[in-house]
Amino acid sequence: MHNQQSFWQLNKAVILFALVALTMPLWFPLINGYSGLDTKIMIFCIFLVGFDILLGFTGYLSFGHAAFFGIAAYSTGLMLKNFSDNIIPAIIVAVIAATLVAIVIGLLTLKRTGIYFSILTLAFAEMFHSMAMAMLQTWTGGENGLTGMPTPMLFDIKMQGSAVFYFSAIMAILMFYLAKRIERSPVGLMMKAIKCNQTRLEYTGINARKYKLLAFVISAMYAAVAGALMVVYEPFVGHEFLGWHQSGEVVIMSVIGGVGTLVGPMIGAAFMLYFENVLSVDLGEQWLLVLGLIFMFVVVFMPGGFMEAVERIKKRFITTADSE
Amino acid sequence: MDMTLNAFTLYILTGLQLGSIFVLIALGLTLIFGTLGVVNFAHGALYLIAIYLAVSINNALGFGLALILVPPILFVFGVLMERGLIQRFYDRPHTDQILVTFGLAIVIQELLKWVFGANNIPFAIPSWGNGILMLHDYLPFLDGFVVYPKWRLILVVVSIVTVTAVFALLHLTRFGLVIRAGMRDAEMMQFLGVNINRRFMIVFGLGSMIAGIAGVFGGPVTQVSPEVGMHLLVPSFLVVVIGGMGSLGGAVIAGILIGMAQSFTAPYINLNTVIIYLITVVILLVRPRGLLGAKGVFE
Repeated sequence: MHNQQSFWQLNKAVILFALVALTMPLWFPLINGYSGLDTKIMIFCIFLVGFDILLGFTGYLSFGHAAFFGIAAYSTGLMLKNFSDNIIPAIIVAVIAATLVAIVIGLLTLKRTGIYFSILTLAFAEMFHSMAMAMLQTWTGGENGLTGMPTPMLFDIKMQGSAVFYFSAIMAILMFYLAKRIERSPVGLMMKAIKCNQTRLEYTGINARKYKLLAFVISAMYAAVAGALMVVYEPFVGHEFLGWHQSGEVVIMSVIGGVGTLVGPMIGAAFMLYFENVLSVDLGEQWLLVLGLIFMFVVVFMPGGFMEAVERIKKRFITTADSE
Repeated sequence: MDMTLNAFTLYILTGLQLGSIFVLIALGLTLIFGTLGVVNFAHGALYLIAIYLAVSINNALGFGLALILVPPILFVFGVLMERGLIQRFYDRPHTDQILVTFGLAIVIQELLKWVFGANNIPFAIPSWGNGILMLHDYLPFLDGFVVYPKWRLILVVVSIVTVTAVFALLHLTRFGLVIRAGMRDAEMMQFLGVNINRRFMIVFGLGSMIAGIAGVFGGPVTQVSPEVGMHLLVPSFLVVVIGGMGSLGGAVIAGILIGMAQSFTAPYINLNTVIIYLITVVILLVRPRGLLGAKGVFE
């Protein structure tokens, strides 16, 4: 292979992201972001990077990723409450639980086209939501949510305030790096080939379903890490974690940011959380309406999201510079 | 299962009534999917518009006007939605169609929440539909005193009439023939010189109108609040999948099946919450194409 690209070229995005993320406590308050929101943004960056491995690479649109986020959150909460206040075993168990569920749902929903997949992932997530509300109420706390967790610990470190932020940020950087590695790998190429032309891929003798399932399970694992970190960030699990609002939010973040770019969805997550918690002060109850309109505008006129906008601006500057 | 004939009859009626709403929503969904190939995530929002329109007109001007006005308004809304928005997406991937209808669903839901508030609005049933029906007067095999809310039975009748009308339109008219041919092969129809796009626009209006009819009669039963649309959309999607995507007959059978399953599991709360998903899983494993799904449709 003539892979002469330097370390810097290969990892430019990751290094830049690390710089932006780790300095966030310094600059985020300057734009009215309160501390705590930066942690949430880091957690959702993890969720969204994983979601892009599915939606961005394979083109399969899941409306049920809240299921993995929520299952991991409940597992983490129950582990912290009943097993140990150390977050490491809790996160591991949470990821395993969500992965197993993802394998089963993936096998059931990836049999046919993407349309079926979107509908059925939504349905299965709703199933877990209603189970949490009724059948598993004694475990999940039903309507009231799961509370009463001890202060989470990373061995001897109390996971509060900036400790949670830096832990989440480092996880986000690592998982972004991992996603970049997957993107460059042969497996990543297969996933992208599914989006390009699945039929053609299958005619070459490749089992596309295997790669679809892999992308789905990996993205579920990212969602699970995010779900587990949410409980470390704030020791509470509400049934909303499993609801369709949560799944929809992730879809909106991805599309606004720019599907398939890995960086775009993270920007989308930061934008939406910032919008929801800071800019929405002036909009009051109608912030979701405004966001819905922005989302529709993006889908209709700028399917590539923010990243497409950046590309267009870049192109305009370059072409005007060339023509002169 | 130890069940008297009385209880059995009531379960059947409740199953039919629950199924009626699912069938009406799913019918529009599957009609639009079968002809245009669009999965309309905003279909629940169309129902939402219908119930809010119906409750407003009903409370201000009476039920009669709501019944006359709401379905045509929804028809026009559906046509405008197809012309203004959906039309732009025929050449784009299915994912984009899902995204844009999902966005529209959020916008409609939030708009209605803004105008009418998040709380349930009481929907007064007209006097002729109020009260209960003495079933034992009509069904001699019932033992003693058995009653059922009149309105819920009216809903079942409305659903049967609507389904019959849609089937008659599709199977007995020339318009229906063209639509059915278009569902098979839209491109071929265009080669034959048929303006299939105009007819598809009407189909979208029809699907929306059925949601309108469902809203006028279903509003008092499902309640009138912004969350109703999405709550109905999920089971209706499953009805479409179980029935076989694009199959109208399948949607009717699956709708009643789901309604019955929910009704008969009502005493067992744990089973009741997951029964429709269990049925879906079983159908997906046994018949991945759905009960009446045609071979080759969106495989």
